[in-house]
Formats: sequence, C-alpha cells, structure tokens
Amino acid sequence: MKRKKLIALFAVLTMTAGLITGCGTSGNTEESAASVDEGAAGEETAVDEGAAEETASEAEPAGEAEAVTIWYYWETEGHQVALDQVIQEYNSSQSNYEVSAKYVPFADFKKQLSIGASADELPDIAILDSPDHASYVEMGIFEDITGKFDVGNYYEGTVNSCTVDDKLYGVPFGVNCLALYYNEDMLSAAGCEVPTTWDELMTTAKALTTDSVTGLALCSVQNEEGTFNFVPWLWSTGATSYDINNENGIRALSFIQSLINEGVMSKECINWTQGDVMNQFIAGNVAMMENGPWQIPTMQSEAPDLNWKVTLIPKDSEYSSVLGGENYAVISGGNVEGALDFLTYATSEEQVKFMMDKFGYISADKTIAANQFAADSPYQPFVEELNYAMPRGPLAEWPSVSDAISLAFNQVITGTATPEDAAAEAQATIDGIVK
Amino acid sequence: MKKIKRMFRYENVGILFVFPAFLYMLVFVGYPIIRNIILSFQDVSAGNLVRGTKSFIMFDNYSALFHDSIFRTSLSNTLRYTILCLVFQFMIGFILALFFNQRFALAKPIRGILLAPWMIPVTVTALMFKLLFATDIGVINYILRSLHLINKNIEWLTTPGTAMFALICANVWIGIPFNMILISTGLTTIPKELYESASIDEANKVQTFFNITLPLLKPTIESVLILGFIYTFKVYDLVYVMTSGGPVNSTHMLSTYSYKLSFEMFKYSKGSAVANVLLLILLVVGIFYIKVTTGGEEE
Amino acid sequence: MMDGEKRLTRKKNILFSAASVVILCVLLFPLYWALITSLKTEQEIFQNPPTFYPHILNSKSYAAQVETGDFNMFRSFANSFLISIGATVIAVLLAVPASYGIAKYHFKGRKVMLLSFLVTQMLPVSVLLTPMFIMFKNMYVYNTWIAAVLADATIGIPFSVLILKNYFSSIPKDLEEAAYLDGCNKFTAFIRILIPIAKPGVMVCAIFSFLYAWGDLAYGMTFILDQEKRPITAGIFNFMGQYGTKWSYLTAFAVVTIIPVALIFIFMQKYIVSGMTSGAVKG
Repeated sequence: MKRKKLIALFAVLTMTAGLITGCGTSGNTEESAASVDEGAAGEETAVDEGAAEETASEAEPAGEAEAVTIWYYWETEGHQVALDQVIQEYNSSQSNYEVSAKYVPFADFKKQLSIGASADELPDIAILDSPDHASYVEMGIFEDITGKFDVGNYYEGTVNSCTVDDKLYGVPFGVNCLALYYNEDMLSAAGCEVPTTWDELMTTAKALTTDSVTGLALCSVQNEEGTFNFVPWLWSTGATSYDINNENGIRALSFIQSLINEGVMSKECINWTQGDVMNQFIAGNVAMMENGPWQIPTMQSEAPDLNWKVTLIPKDSEYSSVLGGENYAVISGGNVEGALDFLTYATSEEQVKFMMDKFGYISADKTIAANQFAADSPYQPFVEELNYAMPRGPLAEWPSVSDAISLAFNQVITGTATPEDAAAEAQATIDGIVK
Repeated sequence: MKKIKRMFRYENVGILFVFPAFLYMLVFVGYPIIRNIILSFQDVSAGNLVRGTKSFIMFDNYSALFHDSIFRTSLSNTLRYTILCLVFQFMIGFILALFFNQRFALAKPIRGILLAPWMIPVTVTALMFKLLFATDIGVINYILRSLHLINKNIEWLTTPGTAMFALICANVWIGIPFNMILISTGLTTIPKELYESASIDEANKVQTFFNITLPLLKPTIESVLILGFIYTFKVYDLVYVMTSGGPVNSTHMLSTYSYKLSFEMFKYSKGSAVANVLLLILLVVGIFYIKVTTGGEEE
Repeated sequence: MMDGEKRLTRKKNILFSAASVVILCVLLFPLYWALITSLKTEQEIFQNPPTFYPHILNSKSYAAQVETGDFNMFRSFANSFLISIGATVIAVLLAVPASYGIAKYHFKGRKVMLLSFLVTQMLPVSVLLTPMFIMFKNMYVYNTWIAAVLADATIGIPFSVLILKNYFSSIPKDLEEAAYLDGCNKFTAFIRILIPIAKPGVMVCAIFSFLYAWGDLAYGMTFILDQEKRPITAGIFNFMGQYGTKWSYLTAFAVVTIIPVALIFIFMQKYIVSGMTSGAVKG
C-alpha cells in the first residue's frame, strides 16, 4: 500500500514536472519565434502592399537598415495605400532606415498607446488625433523636437495642439474641419435656399424632412467624435469649451434638442459615427449633414451621381468650426534619428501634397493649402471654413473635458436632462478638471 | 494516530493534482490582482504613469467614487442587469433542459442546435441584436407594431431604460444554452433507478421533481447560478459593442466604466478602484458559494 | 439500458417534436434574420414593412468581403481556431487533474484554493490587460498567437475546475476503491477509471474553454497588434467601426463568421450531445 502511494506521488510529480518543463520548452520556442517576429515586423505589414518584403529581409541580416515603425488608425483603404506609397518611396530613396506602418484601430489606439507606455512597447512614430496630443506629452512618451521642424507657416491651431510649455512635441500631419453638406436636389425640390443661420437651418431642415428623409444629421456618439461635432454649435454662440453653464451654452444645447424635438434630426445619430452619417447622406436618407472633407473621396466613388455641395456651418452669433486632423509624434526612447529622418521626408511639400489629395485633407501648411484646390473644388469651402475653425484644448485633461461636453449633448438629445441641467452638470465636471 | 498520518499524506497527493493549474492562474492572474490593488491606492494618471512619483493617497480614490454619479449608476446597473439576466436565463434554461430530457424523436438533435447562440462570438451577437432592436428597420418594432402593442417605433438603443432591456435580452439569449446544457448534463447524473422507484411508488411528476430532481441537482444549480452570476456581473464585450455604456452613461457597468476610466480618460488609479469594487462584490459571492457548496463536508 | 426509461406515446412524441421545432424557430430567429439581411439589398433592408425573405437576392455583400483585400477572413478564422484550440488544450490538461484533486482530496487549504480559482474568474478585463501585456512582453510572446492562448486559457481553467469538480464528486467512492483492488494506484485510477467516467464533464469543459477563447475580443485585440495575426472577433469589431450601419455588409460578415463553426458543431454534435448526456455514473 505504501509503495503504491509513493508511485502515485511520483506519477503526479512527473506529470507536474512535465507540465512545467513543457511550459519551459515552449517558452524557448516562443522566444525565438518572437525575435523572428520582431525582425520581420516591417515585412509583415508590408505584405499587404507587396514590395517591401524583399528589401526588409535583405536589409535585416546585413544590419544596414534600422527599423522605424509607425502606428496610425486610419481604416480607410485610400489613406492606408497613400501612406504606404510614401513609405515605399522613402525606403527605396535611402538605405539607412526601413520604415513600416501598422494599422491600430481607432477604438484601440488610446489603449494600445497607454498600455504600450507602461510596458515600454511603443512604435517610433505615432500618428494620432490632435486633441489627444497633450495627454501623451504629459505622459512623457513624446520626444521634444523643438527646432527640428519649421512650423512657422502652419496653421496656428495645429501647431498649438502639439506644443506644450512652448516646446514642440509633434508635427501636424494635415488638417480638416467640419462644414455643412447639403443634397442639392432635395434643397431645390423643396425650394429652399442654402441656410446660413440657425433659424434658417431649422426652417430648411423642416422643409426637407419627409417620411423617409430627415433634414439634418450630425454624428452624436458619446465620445471624442461626438464632441468634435458638437463644439462648432457651442462655439458659435460665443461659449467656450470650458464655460458652458451660461446663456450661450444653454442656447446651443437647446438648439440641438429642438432639432430632435422637431423631428428634423434622428435620435439614432447618437449611434452614428461620422462614416455612418455619410452613408445615410449618400443613401438619400438625410438631406444635410455636418461632416469633414475626408469623406469626399469615398462619396465621389460610391455615389458619383449624387448632387451635393458644401457650405459653412450655419451660425448663431458667429461662424464657427472645429479643427481636426492628426499629428505626427516621435516617441522618445525609440529610434528618434530614424523617425526624424522619415518625418523630414514626409513633411516635404511634394509628399504633403500627394497625401493630402489622397486623404481629402487640407495641408497644415498655409502656403500649400492656399494653392491646394481649384476654386470650384468641393474642398474649397473647407479651406474657407478653416478660417473659423478652432482647436480643442490643447489640454492634458482634454479627454475628461470632452467627456463632459459630449455627455451634455447626449443628455439633451435623448431628453434625459434639460439644457439647463445638462449645462450645469457639465460645468461642474469641467470646473473640477480645469481649476 | 496512524490513520491521521495516512490521511495527511493522502491529502498531499490532492494538492499535487491541483498545483499546476493553481500555479498557472497565480502567475497570470495573481500578479494583476496585486498590481491592481496597489494601483487603486495611488494617484496614477497620464502625468505620472511612466515618469514621476506615484504617491499613495490611500482611500481617496474609493471615497471619490461615492460622489461619482456614473459610478453609482454603473453599480446599480450591474446589479440589476445581473439579477434580471440570471432569473430569466436560468428559468428558461431549466424548462428547456427538462423538456429536452424527454425522449422524443427530435430531442437530441434540436438540443444540439440550440447550443448555437452560445458558440457565436459575443461581438457578433451584439451586432445581431443591434439590428433587431434598430428603431426604423428593426424587426422587433415591426412585430410589436403588427401586434398593435405599439403605434410608434420604440427607440430601443437610444433611450436609457430600453437600452438596458435590449442588453438583457441579448444576454439572456446567450445564457439560455449555457444554463440548459449544464442542467441537462446535471440531470444525467441522477441515477435513473431513483425515477423508476418513484414511478413504482406512484409519485406524480411534480412530486418527483421536487423530491428527486431538485435536491439531486442542487450542486449543478449552485454552480450554474454562481458561474452565471460571475460571468454576467463582469460583462464587458456585449455592452462595449452594443451600447458602449450609452446612451448618456445609462448602460455603463462597473467593468465598462473601469475600462473607460483606465484607457480612455487615463485615470488609471480610479479605474482600478472601480475594478476592485467589482472584485470585492464577486469575492463575497464567491465566499458564500464556497460556504454553501462545501459547508456540509467534514473537514 | 435506454429501454428501462418510459417511452413516450406516438402522439406525445409528435406533439413534443412539434413544440421543439417552434422553440428552435423562436430562439434561432436572430440568426435567421442576420442571414436574410445579408442577402438583401440596402434598399430592401430599409423597406417598411420589412421582408421576411429577400425578394431580390443580393450576394454583393459577400463578394465585397473577398474583394476588399486588407482583411482576410480565412486567415483570421484560422488564427481564431489556433488560439482557441491552444487555450482548450491548456485548460483541459490543467483543469482535469485540478478538479479531481479538489473533488476527491480534502487537503488543507482546499477551500482557499477553490476560492482563488473563483476569484480568478472575477476580474474585469481592465485589470488584466496592462499587467498581462507586460508579462507577455517579458516572455517574448507579445504580438504572437501564444499570448492570446495563454490569456484565453485563464478563462477556461477556473471554469473547468468548478464544473468538473461536481462530476468527480458525483462518482461513487467504491468505484475508485474497486480500481485499487484491481491493482491501480492513485494516478492510474485517475487516468483509467475516473477520466472516462467524467468524460461528459471533460467534454463540456473542452467545449466551453474553446468557446470562451473563440468569443474573446479584449485579449486578442490587446496582445496581438498585427492585423494578420488577430482573431476573427477583432476583425468583426473593426469591421463594425468601419461600416457602422451598412447592415448588408455587417451581417454578411457575421454569417461568414458563424457558418464554419456552425458546421463543425452540427457535424460533431452527435458526439458532443451523446457524450454529455449519456448515463455518466452507471459506468
């Protein structure tokens, strides 16, 4: 009996040992697999586009080219292809660095960067949403690149978004802003003029609303994207992002609420991203929408017969829009030299022009932007709108402020709070953040 | 004395059986728990995540939660959601398990197919229910309209109360097979002889159910309910994909709120505190479960 | 053995079967709805009243998935499969002995161990993501499928332990003792006698571990960065962000995701269901 127990013990021990060593051996293979992975990272992203594979695998063992990785969040295929084309050209233009770009979905981007910061696993360049820039600077993951780039000609708002304490922590990639798209056929069928004020907008939207068409749509999801679409209305009254609980702020909230109450805007907007809003517009379900210029390439290819035009967002007391777009940031501790070298290339006039056209963006460089579009181009209204566009923040705590703003707007849209209460609540939150 | 000694050795073997799994979980989950507890007593945000000092502020994060209305909503949402889901999925699952335990021709194949909702990734389920509950094109509104139960489309996912209802429906749908299968399997552990002797004693069906089925199923029922509770209570994917906590934070759960604080607003310590509250509640439930399931045993 | 049970009368058989078909239709309606939506045109989807079968058959949404090249369905499907199988193997290998140990041995600290298995199930993802990420990075498995396997197994293990311990405890002691008399030791008794008896339970654990790993979104998305290594759930989530309310596309994607698994389960269900529900304790 005793012997049996010993055998049993032994058996279990062997089993355990087997499991542990099992883990150990697999650990080793994982290790080698992972190091292969790291080396091939550039190659793998490039597989989709083809060409870079050979250069990467040739360059790697010789140790000639250092790897430079980029993270970006554009899901639009056109954007990805354009960026990759610039990268390919850069890679073949020199032999010191091998750049590769990785797509990280937008919903994931913040999380991936913040976990990456804790784990010291970051790319060399991040192309990120401009209002988030200040938060990451505060996190200390971006390199100070003051004096390395001439941003004197850039739109002030874009430069501000990557400047903290007079130090430059990034380079604007490109800018965009929001404006009002309208379906020309629907407008003329209803005999409406293009609206320029909130009152006109309300009348027009009412006239355009039918059983199957709602007058206006704007992305109202409760996150940064929603805030982006709300602030033009807020700012148009003279209210600021940090000062909402006053006559102006309440007027903006009331106006959005009245759009819902009058039935000229669908409550579903709180589930629609800007892409969804655009899809509703080209499907003919929506007559007017607030949206950005980056939708134009898609709209032109998917709905070539649709008659639409762009105009300034109707105003309350002053025209207003919001500055959007991405910034390049160089990660400190990464391959800074390589990152800077690539950015110098990518921000040259030729490359900027190429990418902006493909992206449907406006160059952050005022001189390039001035001649970027023909007078009758659908992009031209956006260039005009840019004059009225202001940035969000820059503020390290912007994500929290933004959360309060989009909550207030969602409250009035869903009817869960009066404009007065929503404004008061938002103000209380913001006062707790911005002291 | 000798007997006790033998007992001791005998039990030692038991530990060795458990040890590999325990070690695995300790490594991958034990460390995160400890890290999270420490984090919740600090003041870590974007500013001092990577550099700078992380000072201990003890219970400040927790006391701040009491004044946080979204936290309170998340807490009550999580409780409401969990209890409602459990009640419905358990009842429906139990009835179906009993029903399919009958030996009719289609019982086995159809019970097999009914597992389908469980094997579908939650992400896809969330997508399907979003479609079903859509305001204008949603088929649920259409059915309700045709039955003249409503005359205006309900805006399910954009109205606070009904968005919660839609989430519960989706979760119950996923949970029914889970309950059904575990109870079905539990039913098979009841020796058939017991039923046979019951039928000889001419006990009616209801009596058999309460006198034989239910008592013998007790361990299964406990496991099903407790596991159901834990999985429902920490629900994340479904809410994240279907409503992201909206509209106006009305469907935020502790898990989604903790995620939002940590990864969208960079308030790491506060997010950890929310997660710890969730953990604490589940721990109480867990201790209760262990008490109940091992209470009768001599130790 | 089966004949010992009362057979249903013919009439009842038909009645019950009909009822079960009704139950099936009601419960699987969401799946049917997704399928037909994927075959409708966008106009038809927006039609009021909605159509319960596609009047114009539209297969464009399926073709579009093959054409838009950046996301490869088949590859992500294979990734998911690999990850789920890996997680299942780890979970079953570790959980079966563990649950046996907990069920059959009343060692000191048993309750604490049981509780700690439970606790590991309770963690919200926000707690796990960052520390796990750091560990995987240090183990050099970050951004490989192994990271997802290791993470997903942590869902399957405790679940399996808690379920399986009931099966092992429901096995009568005398069965084990009979095995010892036959010359088995603890270990061989466990392998030869107990595992086969607990097979339905082991089966359930394997299935559940597989499905937990299969449905995982957060781990796959966080620990694997490269799109081409990610599981299918991450693909769908991505797709939802990209196509928002383009329901024909979205549902087509959902159907493509579901069908292969559904097929596997339909072909295997004979084994699964009989494995799970055959008289376990009789031995």
